[in-house]
Amino acid sequence: MPKKQPEEPFEPKGTIVVMAIFVVTLIVLWGSVYYILISRGVTL
Amino acid sequence: MTTKPIIEIDPYEKTWMRISLGLLVVFIIMVGVAGYALGFQLPASETRVNPQTVATDPNSPWSNPGLRELAPGKYEVYILAQIWLFNPREITVPVGSTVTFYVTSKDVQHGFKIQDTNINMQIIPGYVSTLTHVFDKPGEYPYICTEYCGSGHAAMFGKIIVEP
Repeated sequence: MPKKQPEEPFEPKGTIVVMAIFVVTLIVLWGSVYYILISRGVTL
Repeated sequence: MTTKPIIEIDPYEKTWMRISLGLLVVFIIMVGVAGYALGFQLPASETRVNPQTVATDPNSPWSNPGLRELAPGKYEVYILAQIWLFNPREITVPVGSTVTFYVTSKDVQHGFKIQDTNINMQIIPGYVSTLTHVFDKPGEYPYICTEYCGSGHAAMFGKIIVEP
């Protein structure tokens, strides 16, 4: 009977970095558009 | 006997779902703050007009388009869009003025966007698009047609001069 290999720890560091970049980009882009909207003044 | 399938969600996936949901909630709250707390309005079509007579009917404000002073610092502007010009092409107001725009078209669909402001409206024949803006910085604010309306579309522009 083959000897069972120990499970490799699941730590997708590369994916986490890519997703973190994605989240930060999303927040920065959304935030900059929101800032432009606010700074241009209210439409009544 | 049937057994319910067990769905195992990885902790990383759970974290990602929480972040996504959190961002969505924050963005929706910010839109709500802009709309309800700060008072941002979308272009409204409050009135309907007859595009065939809007420019000629003596009772129509667009038969004599231009700036009207309602009170010191408070103005309304009636702008008639047509191929390929805005009437009037130039408007002058003092800084700090609150200006309400009433824009309509007598022929085809146009757009009306004032640079460096949040005024951006579709101008549809038969409808009056309305928005109000406070010009609190002196300078020139060009306005342009944002809807392709024919060969002279690129020449369809004007400007608001805000005097100090």
